[in-house]
Amino acid sequence: MLTKKIKTRLLFLLSVIFITLLFLTFIYLSLKKNILYFKTPSEIFIVDEIMINSKIRVGGMVKKDSIQQNNKEIKFVLTDYKKELIVVYNGAVPNLFSEERGAVVEGKLNDKSYLIADRILAKHDENYMPPEMKKILENAK
Amino acid sequence: MIIELLNMGGYGFYIWTSFLLVAVFCFLLYYKTQKTLKKYEKELALELEKLPKEHRKRIARSSKVISSILASQNKLS
Amino acid sequence: MNFFSFGNIIIYIDRFINFINSIFFVILIVGLTFALIISPIDYLQGDTVRIMYVHVPSAWIGLSIFSIIAISTILNYIFKIKNLFLLLKSLAPIGLLFTGLSIVTGSLWGKPTWGTWWAWDARLTSMLVLMLFYVLFILSLKYLKDKENLPKILSAISILGVINIPIIKYSVEWWSTLHQPASIKFLGTSSIHYSMLIPLFLMLLVLLLYCALIFLMKYKTEIIKIKKQNIKRL
Repeated sequence: MLTKKIKTRLLFLLSVIFITLLFLTFIYLSLKKNILYFKTPSEIFIVDEIMINSKIRVGGMVKKDSIQQNNKEIKFVLTDYKKELIVVYNGAVPNLFSEERGAVVEGKLNDKSYLIADRILAKHDENYMPPEMKKILENAK
Repeated sequence: MIIELLNMGGYGFYIWTSFLLVAVFCFLLYYKTQKTLKKYEKELALELEKLPKEHRKRIARSSKVISSILASQNKLS
Repeated sequence: MNFFSFGNIIIYIDRFINFINSIFFVILIVGLTFALIISPIDYLQGDTVRIMYVHVPSAWIGLSIFSIIAISTILNYIFKIKNLFLLLKSLAPIGLLFTGLSIVTGSLWGKPTWGTWWAWDARLTSMLVLMLFYVLFILSLKYLKDKENLPKILSAISILGVINIPIIKYSVEWWSTLHQPASIKFLGTSSIHYSMLIPLFLMLLVLLLYCALIFLMKYKTEIIKIKKQNIKRL
């Protein structure tokens, strides 16, 4: 059934696939660090000193009852339930930013547990439901 | 109620813009596709006009594509 | 007579176009009513969740059309099936449109929820790459003069592009991204409340019908182009 022509074409396709995969592996290996949009507070804790003073993004949950706000700046604790990071930021936060919700902060580390942010993004999860449903779920807890 | 619907809890701008953008771009693609289709139908019909009458009839009998397009063009004119 | 001959196809195309035209606006109005009025707000995002009803179907369509195009390009290249070539030529612009729309609506959804229009995270970037592949594919389809080698080049582009599809799909699971993980999975339960699934699937149906309509019209145009070229031989 496979004529010679078809075999040549298949060979061409296979070589394209092979070369692509090879390239992708190289790209993946070189981008490995950048492909992660943010690091977790635990990951920050184990890295070397070099990270300090360069821009990074850290993601995690905003710890309950940790938000302190005065007229100039907002201060809160970002946690991945293992390690914690204190974040200071002055500026407007996104509407979805609140306690016990995900957030990604972008800024410079002062030391391993203190970050001065110049941008805050809110991260939400994949659950969507009406408010009444949420209440029922919370009451069931 | 209308104001409420337009306002969408303060997010009206984002919601209406995204729905409108989808509508506008879908319409543009539809319009362009429709125009090209009509253009080619017409051109094919004109080409057929040029052929001798006998020949045209024979084609219309043997080809469903030609006959259906001729039929739709005749309906229009 | 071959069932897939142009003569048979064009009759079915006309019937389908008429059928879609007759039901489209009814379903559109029902879909929009559910999406914009009846469906509830989200407990967290409020009304912004409504953007999901255009964003998610657009992204699904963009991804699936590229997969279909890639498969038919490769099959067309190997076995030289004329109908497949017309199919991919008619589908490509629709896929590009919806990929673009999913990026733009996603941006409009990101601003009020995440607080940014754009982030270079794995999901958003890989979606942008998909759009670039669509553009590349369509440009080569349109402007490449070398018709002999066109299927070969298109196959190479679609292989490169199709490898990106699972990357898009699983980017939110493999790497840390700003984009949330998938709510609807092939297997298992969805994490969207059913009152929000109804408008989602209604809008998907509306957009799919729209795609089918454009596809059929483009396919018909392609058949007419071929007939016009061959008119002397008839």
